Amino acid sequence: MTKNLARRAIEFGITFFLAISINFLLPRLVPGDPLALIAGNAAPQLGRARIDALRAQYGLDKPLGEQYLIYLGNLARGDLGQSYRYSGGKSVVEVLGENFRWTLLIVGLSLTSSLLIGSALGIWSATKRGSSLDLGLLSGFYFLRAIPPFWLAMLLIPVFAIQLGWLPAGDSYSIPRLEGWENVKDVARHALLPVVVLTLAYLPTAFVIMRAAMFGIMETDYIRTARAKGVPNIWVVLKHAFRNALLPVLTAFMLDLGQLLGGVTVIEAVFNYRGIGNMMFEAVKSRDYPLLQGGFLLFTITILILNIITELLYPLLDPRVQRATI
Amino acid sequence: MTALTQADGTPRIVLTTLNAGFSSRRLIRITGWVGGCVLTMLLALAFFPNLIAPYDSTKRVALPLQKPGKEFLLGTNDIGQDLMSELITGTRASLFTGLIVSFISVVIGTVVGIVSGYAGGWVDSLLMSLTDLILVLPFIPLVILISVYLGPSQRNVILVLAIFFWAAPARLVRSRVLSLRTETYIEAARALGANSFHIMTNHLWSGVKSLALVQIVLIASASILAESSLSFLGLGDPSGKSWGTMLYFARASGAFMSAAWKWWVLPTGLMITLTVLSLGLIGYSLEQRIANSVS
Repeated sequence: MTKNLARRAIEFGITFFLAISINFLLPRLVPGDPLALIAGNAAPQLGRARIDALRAQYGLDKPLGEQYLIYLGNLARGDLGQSYRYSGGKSVVEVLGENFRWTLLIVGLSLTSSLLIGSALGIWSATKRGSSLDLGLLSGFYFLRAIPPFWLAMLLIPVFAIQLGWLPAGDSYSIPRLEGWENVKDVARHALLPVVVLTLAYLPTAFVIMRAAMFGIMETDYIRTARAKGVPNIWVVLKHAFRNALLPVLTAFMLDLGQLLGGVTVIEAVFNYRGIGNMMFEAVKSRDYPLLQGGFLLFTITILILNIITELLYPLLDPRVQRATI
Repeated sequence: MTALTQADGTPRIVLTTLNAGFSSRRLIRITGWVGGCVLTMLLALAFFPNLIAPYDSTKRVALPLQKPGKEFLLGTNDIGQDLMSELITGTRASLFTGLIVSFISVVIGTVVGIVSGYAGGWVDSLLMSLTDLILVLPFIPLVILISVYLGPSQRNVILVLAIFFWAAPARLVRSRVLSLRTETYIEAARALGANSFHIMTNHLWSGVKSLALVQIVLIASASILAESSLSFLGLGDPSGKSWGTMLYFARASGAFMSAAWKWWVLPTGLMITLTVLSLGLIGYSLEQRIANSVS
C-alpha cells in the first residue's frame, strides 16, 4: 500500500511540476519580447532606461535557468505576482482566493447532482438494456451531449431572467449584499441557472460511463449466480452490481475531469459569475497575464487534488486494491 | 496524473465512446443515413455559401437589429449584416476547423498509439505519461492561456485544439495495438523477418484503421463544440465568420437579452447542435457496423 501510494505521489508530483513549468515557459516561448506583453502598447514610449529598469524588476535580464529558479522560489512562498488589472496592487493569490469559492460552489453542486442523477439513470437504463426506455434515455443524452452548454445558458437567461423575471440574469449575489438568511437565499437564486446548465453539461458523461460499467458487470457470472439463487432484482443491481461499477465509474469520470472542470470557464463568462473562469475571461480582455497563469495553475491543482482524493477512496470502495498492493 | 494501470496491474479501461448495445441493424442504418444526409447538406453550405446565402455576410445590407421579415429571414445583427447569410457562411469555418483538427489529432494519436503499444517499455511509459498529462490538464483554461499568447486567429484555434485532441485516440489505438500484438499473424510476420517499421505501418495499421476512422468522425464533433466555445470567448478570428463568433457578438452587443435571442442565438446554436449530432450519429453507426462485422 505504502509503496503504491509513494509511486502515485511521485506521479502527481511530476504532473504538478510539468504544469508549473508550462506556466513558466509559455510567455517565454512565444515569439517576441515578454516585456512587450507586460508593458503592452505603452512599450515604445517608455524609453530605454525605463525598459531596462522594468526588465530588471521582472528579472527578465537574467539567464533563463536563473529566472526559473526565482519563479519556483516565489511559487513556494505562494507568490504568483501582481495582477495588472487591479492597479491598487492586488496580488494574484488574493484575487484567486476571492473568486475560487464561487467556482467551488457551482462546480461542487453540479458535479454532485450530475453524478447522482446520471448514475441513477445509467443504472436504470442498463438493467433494461435494449428496451425502449434504454433507447429513449440514450438518444436523449446523445442529443444533450451535442448541445453547447454556453448556448443553453444564453437561452435560459432571456427566458427565465428577462421574460419571466424569476431569477437574476447574472453575477453571484445582489448588490448591495443582503444579510443572514436572505443572503443565503440570494446566493442560491444566483447559483441556480449556472448549476442547472453545468449539471446538464456533466450529465451525459456520468450516464454513459455508469451505463457502460453496469453492462459489463451485469453479464458476469456472479450476477448470474445471485439471480439464480433468487436474490431480488433490485438487490442484485444495488448491492452486487452497483458497488463494483463504482470504481471504474469514478476512474473514468476523473479522466474526463480536466475537460469537465474547464468547461465551467465558459458558463461563468455567460452568467458573469464571479468564479475563476469568468476571472480568466475578464483577464483575457485586459491582457492580465499573471492572473491568467494563476487561474490555470489553480484549475490544475484542483484537478490533481480531486484525483488524489479519488485515489485515496479506492481502497474503501474496493478492498482488492488494498490487498493487491500490500 | 491518472495512472496507466490500476493498482493490481490491469490496464484501466477508457470509456470514451458510447457502448450502445443495440445491435438492431435497421436502427444503425437509419442513424447512419440521417447523419449522412444532414452532413451532406452542411457540406453543401460550407462549399458553396455564396450560391445559397441571400446576401454578402460581410456587407452591411440593412439597418442594424432588424426583426425577421420577408427581406431578411432572420433579421440583421448589431451592425446591419444579414443573420441568415452569416449563419450559412459560418458553416465553413465551424465545419472545416472541426474536420482539420480531428484529422491532425487522429493522425498524431494513431502514430503515438501504434508506436507506444508496439514498442512497450520506456517508450510506452514516456508516451503514455505525456498522454495522461494532456488528459488531466484543465482543457479550456489552458487553451485560453495559449491563445492569449499566440493571438486570436483560426489557425491558432486549430493548433491548440489539435494539441489536446490527439491524446484520447492515442490511448484507444494503443489499447487495440496491445491486443493485436499477441495475435499470431503479427508473430508470424516477425518470424518471417519483417522489421518493426513494416509491422507497424502494414499489419498494425490495418488493424486499427477502422478505429481511427471512427475517431476522426467523433473527434470532429468534439472539436466543433470546442471551437464554438473558444470563438464564443473571443479567442477565434474576430473578423472571420463562424457560429461561435456570431454568438460572441450576440452576447457582446447584449442582443441575447432582448427578443433578438429568438432569431440570433437560437438558430446559431441549433446549427452547432445539428452538426455535432450528425457527426455523432455517423460515428455511432460506423462503430456499430464495425463491431457487427467483427463479431
